[in-house]
Amino acid sequence: MSSRCAFKGENSESMTSDYAIETDGLQKIYRTRFTGRAFTAVAGLTLRVPIGSKFGLLGANGAGKTTFVKMLLSAVRPTAGRASLFGRDAQEEESRRPVGYLPENHRFPTYFTGAGMLDFYGALSGMSAADRKRRIVELLELVGLETWGDVRIKKYSKGMLQRLGLAQALMHKPRLLVLDEPTDGVDPAGRRHIRDILNGLTGAGVTIFLNSHLLSEVETFCDYVAILRQGHLALEGKMSSLLTKQGVVITVRDVNEQAQRLIAGMASTTRVVEDAVEFTVPTPLEANRSIDVLRAAGATIYSVIPTTSSLEDIFIEITGSSRNAGARGEIPGAEETVAAAAMSGVHQ
Amino acid sequence: MSTESQVLRPPLTAAGSQPIHLSTSPLQVFLALIWDTVQEARARWLFWGLFGLSTLLILFFLFILKIDVVQGAISFMGLPAGAGRTVFSIEKFVRSAYMFVAIFLYVWGTFLAIFASAGLIPSVLEPGRIGLLLSKPVSRPMLLLGRYAGTLLVVALNNTYLIASIYLIIGWKTDIWYHSFLYAIPLATFNFAVILTVVVLIGVLSESAALSLMVAVALMFISSLLAQRQIVVNLLNSEWSRQLWQALYWIIPKTWELGKVMRDLILREDPAYWIAPLWTSAAFGVAVFLGAVARFQRKDY
Repeated sequence: MSSRCAFKGENSESMTSDYAIETDGLQKIYRTRFTGRAFTAVAGLTLRVPIGSKFGLLGANGAGKTTFVKMLLSAVRPTAGRASLFGRDAQEEESRRPVGYLPENHRFPTYFTGAGMLDFYGALSGMSAADRKRRIVELLELVGLETWGDVRIKKYSKGMLQRLGLAQALMHKPRLLVLDEPTDGVDPAGRRHIRDILNGLTGAGVTIFLNSHLLSEVETFCDYVAILRQGHLALEGKMSSLLTKQGVVITVRDVNEQAQRLIAGMASTTRVVEDAVEFTVPTPLEANRSIDVLRAAGATIYSVIPTTSSLEDIFIEITGSSRNAGARGEIPGAEETVAAAAMSGVHQ
Repeated sequence: MSTESQVLRPPLTAAGSQPIHLSTSPLQVFLALIWDTVQEARARWLFWGLFGLSTLLILFFLFILKIDVVQGAISFMGLPAGAGRTVFSIEKFVRSAYMFVAIFLYVWGTFLAIFASAGLIPSVLEPGRIGLLLSKPVSRPMLLLGRYAGTLLVVALNNTYLIASIYLIIGWKTDIWYHSFLYAIPLATFNFAVILTVVVLIGVLSESAALSLMVAVALMFISSLLAQRQIVVNLLNSEWSRQLWQALYWIIPKTWELGKVMRDLILREDPAYWIAPLWTSAAFGVAVFLGAVARFQRKDY
């Protein structure tokens, strides 16, 4: 994380940074048009995203993730605080030149062909016609749309649009890629394809900022994570250090009541699964003690599995959400949609 | 125009390793935005609708309208009169015919252009589209200016096509060429350019094509009404209402007067009153456009 960057013409003292994204007390308050009632979408967020990292931003619906991203890219003006990209104030248009962005719920102009759309956004990023022409061929091939370049994008499927959107974000070889739900509507094979492309980028030093509601996606891809809760930063850290919380799950059969009571005193959870009982004990030492008790009681030990807590566990613990996150590992969010609801029909 | 470039190192080895030169020239961005607007106008059939209706009108002049009526009238007027008076009358008659056609095209072209263009500004402000545009290293005023210029270009091309074609048809059929007829092109385009700033402002404020259309059309009617100030001022019974009428007259763009300027130019009558309509309309357009930019700068998307 020691690589530094500077833009041409910048003051080397003030315009260099170890961070691709840096925010300081970033805040956004929306007010309803007529009553003036205030809703805090983002509450004084201070966050640093190291250059070259894969950073995941999590939060339930309405937690402020998209507003935060929009403030980084100047689509939304902060009420207070500041944001910078590679050390440059995010309000300056030049700060956005090294940024590639794939928005959530994008609406690409359907009158473009795939190649035409890439050409347009490439031109807006400042690419020359020759670079655009070369890059369009490369990228359409990279995202598996090489035979679709001349087809109007209104004929593209949702997954194809996501891949084209990714190509658009990569068009000018950005150093920071901001992706808002990049695999939304993409089938499993397509997700893997997108993940492979992104992994290829991080090897080359590109910073990836992933805004997703898919916990499994963030857990498998990102090396840093932050969790937002109602506009506040609830947790931030390295993924590896967050997932080190260990435990051991012991599954047994034919266990008598006395042994069950003894182990339940050591276990953090006890669960009956069909004809077996599942104990989760927090440390290996307690696991050994439990096994001794179980053997002495003549129980059948079916399995002993060391576990780490998943991102889903951490998320639920942090956000206080009791709802089942579901089989797909999606963030439960219906109960935390206050800010989202407030956004409709409100203004700054 | 700055053409300063910066080179970003290529991070994407998986998809090509050549460095990319990123220009900071605003001209490239401006042209890309104009081209995008023209593309959208084409795709929405506005472009073809506008040019299709113009073509119908041209075909009407070419095949249906009996312009030999003009020649017949010229002959008729020429018979009983003396030579000098005949020439004067013929010229005046033909000029009047040209003038009526020009006025018709001015009104027709402006209304058609407003209807065609009203949706082009709000469409770019749709959620999911504007966010991506704003994430590019492009200033907000440039985004709006590019869209405005693209719309104006489509309408200017149509005005040129329509008016120049009818000029050629009438000239070819009558063999009388009055070049001043062509003043209708810049005047109609200028009038539309002013009205378009209102479409832009309402589009930014409300993001509604229908409201933009309503306000723009209403403004043209109000402008024509205010232009009757010589008559109306005498009918108003209080001084403040007269002053209000006069003030509004000077503020609102002068669609009516611009039409009169065009008429005078075609009739070869010196348009004694042409500078004020031009500069007050232009000032109105600039002020409204700046207002739209100011609002756009502060708006969240």
